[in-house]
Amino acid sequence: MSERSHSGGGPGATDLRAEMRRAADSLGSPSHDPPSRAVTSDLSVDEGLLLHSIGWEAIDVVFGSSLVSIPPMVWTWGSGEITAASEAHNQAVRSAAKHLGEQCSNARGHGVVGVRVEVEVKRHHVDVELTGTAVRPVGGKDRSSVFVSDLSARDFTLLHNAGWGPIGLAFGASFVYAPRRSMGTTMRQSSQNVELTNFTEAMYAAREAGMEHMQRSALDMGAQGIVAVRVSEGPMWFANHAIGFTAWGTAVRLEAESHQYLRPEVVLPLDDAIVEFEVQSLR
Amino acid sequence: MDAPGRSEQDDGPPEPVGAGSDGDLPEAAGRRLGGGSFSSGLTVPDFAACLQMGLRPVGLVQGFCVMQWGWYGSGSPYMRGMTPYAFGGDAPRGAYSESYSCPHGGYVYSNEHRIWGQNYQQPWVESAWAQGFGSAYSRMVEEAGEVGAHGIIGVVDTTRHLADMNVTEFHILGTAVVVEEGAAPPGGTPWTTYLAGQRLAKLIEAGYMPVSVVAALSSVRVWAYCVTEMLMEGTMSRFGGGYMPVSEVEQLSRAHIAARSLAREHIRSQLGNDTLQGALIVANTQSLAQGDEVIECAMRGTRVRRFKDFDPLPAPRPTVRLS
Repeated sequence: MSERSHSGGGPGATDLRAEMRRAADSLGSPSHDPPSRAVTSDLSVDEGLLLHSIGWEAIDVVFGSSLVSIPPMVWTWGSGEITAASEAHNQAVRSAAKHLGEQCSNARGHGVVGVRVEVEVKRHHVDVELTGTAVRPVGGKDRSSVFVSDLSARDFTLLHNAGWGPIGLAFGASFVYAPRRSMGTTMRQSSQNVELTNFTEAMYAAREAGMEHMQRSALDMGAQGIVAVRVSEGPMWFANHAIGFTAWGTAVRLEAESHQYLRPEVVLPLDDAIVEFEVQSLR
Repeated sequence: MDAPGRSEQDDGPPEPVGAGSDGDLPEAAGRRLGGGSFSSGLTVPDFAACLQMGLRPVGLVQGFCVMQWGWYGSGSPYMRGMTPYAFGGDAPRGAYSESYSCPHGGYVYSNEHRIWGQNYQQPWVESAWAQGFGSAYSRMVEEAGEVGAHGIIGVVDTTRHLADMNVTEFHILGTAVVVEEGAAPPGGTPWTTYLAGQRLAKLIEAGYMPVSVVAALSSVRVWAYCVTEMLMEGTMSRFGGGYMPVSEVEQLSRAHIAARSLAREHIRSQLGNDTLQGALIVANTQSLAQGDEVIECAMRGTRVRRFKDFDPLPAPRPTVRLS
């Protein structure tokens, strides 16, 4: 246990100076931990402490990568969804998450938290890179299925305390052609303020399709819902007439008998939020 | 000290390694460090937190190393059709390598048809990187030794290309500190960490002591075989006939995972029985042709050692701010 001092920082506060000296002196001694496989983690100190507060620990940094090809000619002009690109994107994410899960299992983890998701769509392929830290309950036994989650360790702790557990990454993508107008329509609308209904419909449908793919992937995992959904969208840099929509989040399921209410305490900070002097305030 | 690329399996005091650790610091460094006042790279909050912990800054210390990268040696992108693994090449045992063969029934469409491909680790690149980083690190530690420091905190390292040449500069700096009323570190070699201020204080409170910064680079070269090349340039239908399906580019997927896993294993070999805290992973892919790539993955973090049992942390209390 740590040394406690009443001399500074209030009752029960750790005497940091004594702890620092003790820590520095310990470098001449073997590790306090029993010999085992070295642990690697990309979590912050705070995240490590939070995980420990719910009885979990980090084990290993794990990776998942996948490159999936996109058939030629799919980006040329057309109408509706570019299904081959959507399919390639979803396959790449599934495959990368599978590799990540395999590395987690090999490290005897129960799941991966804080997954960093990097997706790059190019003309002929989709590149997905996932990086996270495998975690497990302290002293936990091996588990056949593992979860993959892009939630931070802090969010994972909150979710755990609320009785829920992550299951996996839910992902959905949809790529569409920006529709073209006929020459006559373009001429007629050139001097009008009008809604471009074909654009609205195409974009609307693509957003819904991307989210539907995501929802379907969550349901396939047996999830009850998805948290921390993020959406990105925009034209492809190599094909400005094609627009991509991607949505992803962590699929979750209730693991306790019922939701556990966290009952947060209300805090009213008494510090002054104004930190800069403004000349204007003298007027 | 753990110079990257070196293995330290024992729990004893770290030993200095690498070039530049034998007193070759510039004269100006000696004058600066002996100037009578301390300099520090810490922010004011970090500075205050370190004083609170009993860490007294004694100087800003740094190390440099400029390395040239040989481009036409083994593994050069201009050596298409050759492999360092052929003719009794210099590939060390245990290095990652896997080969891919043309599945088109041995039929050669043209001289340009890539009937084989290979992913392989480039230990000569990795060891050169480790030498550059390790030398810069050793020089920083040597400067810290000059001012009698016990440790170096808030370490920052950068790697950048100089001018328009195959020349890379490694620069590493940090703030040398003395543990007030504390004994010198075992072996006299200062401990080092990327952390400073409150984050370092929390690490100590959590029961971990920093041992040293650790860093490693992995490098994997991909020579694409025909399938990878066609999938990456979208010409599968020319050779395979008909419509090209959506398909995983297995050679590249495996190379990307291998590069990252190798970096992790290099780091692990420097940890002994300790823990890597706050790993930072940066991967860079250089595309040389359709499917031909060099994948480099740098991983760094602080090696920490547990010196006491975890104090049970009270369950965190969720709060809602009213402001």
